Amino acid sequence: MPEAHAATPTNPASFDNAIKQYRPHLIEDVGQALSGVRTLQARVAAKDLQGAKAAWISARAGWERSEVFTGAFVPDFDEKIDAWPNATTGFHAIEARLFGANQTDAEDVTNAIVERLSALDAKVRDITLTPQGLLNGLAQLTYEVGEDKADGGESRISGTSLDDMRNNVAGIENAYNIVFASAIGSADPGLASTTSVEISKLKALLDVKSLNDVNTKALRQATEELVVTLQDVAPKIGLARPVLGPSP
Amino acid sequence: MPARSLSLAAVGLAMVLVFQRAFAFPVDGRQTTLPVGTELNEDAIDRPREVFRSEATGGRKSYLVDLGDMAFNASDILGGAARQAGISCGSCHVNGASNPKLFIPGMSSKPGTFDTSGPLFNPNANDFVRDAVRIPSLRGARYMAPYGNNGRTASLRDFIRNVIVVEFSGPEPSTAILDALVAYIQDIDFLPNPSLGPGGKLNTQSSVAERRGEALFNKPFPHDPTLSCATCHVPSGGFVDHMVHDVDTGGLFKTPTLLNADFNAPYFHDGRFDNYGQVVSHFDREFDLGLSDRDKSDLVAYLTAVGDGVQATEREGAAASLREISDFASVLAAAIPAHDNEAISLAVDTIGAELRDVTEHIPDLRDTTVSGGEKERNLARMALKEVVLILRRLGIDAAAGKYDDAASDYMTYNRFMTAAVPTIVLKAEAWSLFNPPIHDAHYAALHQLLSSINQSHP
Repeated sequence: MPEAHAATPTNPASFDNAIKQYRPHLIEDVGQALSGVRTLQARVAAKDLQGAKAAWISARAGWERSEVFTGAFVPDFDEKIDAWPNATTGFHAIEARLFGANQTDAEDVTNAIVERLSALDAKVRDITLTPQGLLNGLAQLTYEVGEDKADGGESRISGTSLDDMRNNVAGIENAYNIVFASAIGSADPGLASTTSVEISKLKALLDVKSLNDVNTKALRQATEELVVTLQDVAPKIGLARPVLGPSP
Repeated sequence: MPARSLSLAAVGLAMVLVFQRAFAFPVDGRQTTLPVGTELNEDAIDRPREVFRSEATGGRKSYLVDLGDMAFNASDILGGAARQAGISCGSCHVNGASNPKLFIPGMSSKPGTFDTSGPLFNPNANDFVRDAVRIPSLRGARYMAPYGNNGRTASLRDFIRNVIVVEFSGPEPSTAILDALVAYIQDIDFLPNPSLGPGGKLNTQSSVAERRGEALFNKPFPHDPTLSCATCHVPSGGFVDHMVHDVDTGGLFKTPTLLNADFNAPYFHDGRFDNYGQVVSHFDREFDLGLSDRDKSDLVAYLTAVGDGVQATEREGAAASLREISDFASVLAAAIPAHDNEAISLAVDTIGAELRDVTEHIPDLRDTTVSGGEKERNLARMALKEVVLILRRLGIDAAAGKYDDAASDYMTYNRFMTAAVPTIVLKAEAWSLFNPPIHDAHYAALHQLLSSINQSHP
């Protein structure tokens, strides 16, 4: 009975290979964040404002792509690296100095973030990555992308909130494709194609000139629909319904 | 309350004030939907208290009133930049009252005013005149026809439609939504004022100054005995005469009510006066009334007594927010069996936005201005997100014509929202922005962060 066979939940253990393939991408994203802040450290020391700004943006891209992982597995790192709103620590404190005040006096806070990201860089190499945690991270981050940005969003001082969202979705797409797409494709091709369509929809909604042009209502709806789909997907691949927060 | 910047030049300067929408206003930075310096006062902890005629007279709000209240707070019924920025009728008319702090650069001449024919929300209706008018309170609006500051529209329904379609670029509203908005606005009552007795007369507990003010208010003007203040502000008629007059402010404008007016500053059609003292002085000059200083202060005392209202504001707490959400959600009980997809979709989006707003009031762990309650905050945020997703699932099911599934989603929603979610949210409230010290610390940090912009652009 092929139908019954198709409906059999995938054993979570069968994600081992997928996760093995995913880890290098995660290492690369965190690596980009780390090398970005190291460059930033050098540019800040050289009082090179333009170079420092470019390095900050590059570091952010890697960081935002890795948020599927950080939000679900290392929320304490997330908190220290990406504090909001706080004028003293993390990316946004540096952003305020570079993009707000147009000053490079951000040595201490940059040194601190280099230290944190170095620790994270070491951690991603051997931390246990569970499929459930990654599914939780996907759902959490997707939901967050739909949050209101009418106030300019989190990276409003540099005007890069839209980039944050795009990098988030790139991270979502990458994690989904590498870790889950094939398992869902075998378990329920219909749901697999729904998920892919919904991810593409997110990308399309963010493919606009500036944050002002994002259709916020459609984006919120699309992110919530994707999370609802992920809730439906979970039991088909032997996982629990994704949790939208740090595991209790 | 945290201070907010009220103009481009003042961005970053702290000023003490009051939406939110779960949105961390003030607007600042780059790539923002609304102009930098926009103040919607959405994070106000104290909000105008809303009194419903139906409830005040021992009944309850109708389905139409709940639907209208929800539509009133839905940016979806508007279009253009308003929808994009999450602005709704309720952004300007908070809980059906006014919003004295609202300021949108390019659209407002001062806080509490708004240019309905300005460039931002419907460029096609832009008349290229900076003619911002004060945002009126809608309390008692059912007595206040004709509508508009110049009384240009006889029907409240026509007026509302014009606001939606012309002023805010919204799609043509359905008959059902317009009916609901009219029903809601007509159910917004004045706050009770125990100082006033029958016929709008001061009652016996009034002070001597207030009584002298009342006499002056009714006394014929020295140079035109056919007129007194009371000729236009008819005490027995809600302190209006339903007419427009030229009182040398640049044209014909409708007599505004004085009821609850203590909470409606700034005054006059363009909000030019900030207090009753200025208003009285204007009329003194304009009609050559020859008022002494004591006369003026007596009139101010009288106006203050007439304009009073019981408990004008209430503290916005998690419980009050969840109660409002529950009123909105009651719409679904009728809309799902009626297969009314318009109302269902409006409910899913609007209640979802409100739930997200409550979520944003509970800081996540990255908000280092808050310490403690980590577990409670996480749980509350997770619970609220779950409910948003139940509603979204309901919306998906209804849109697919699966009304039985939608009805079952609604039962799940109710099961969560009846007890479990409110309990979890209330447990986190001490560490939330509903708690004034946490609120102030959060916004102080935000202001400090944004103040960096001012350092480079003095």
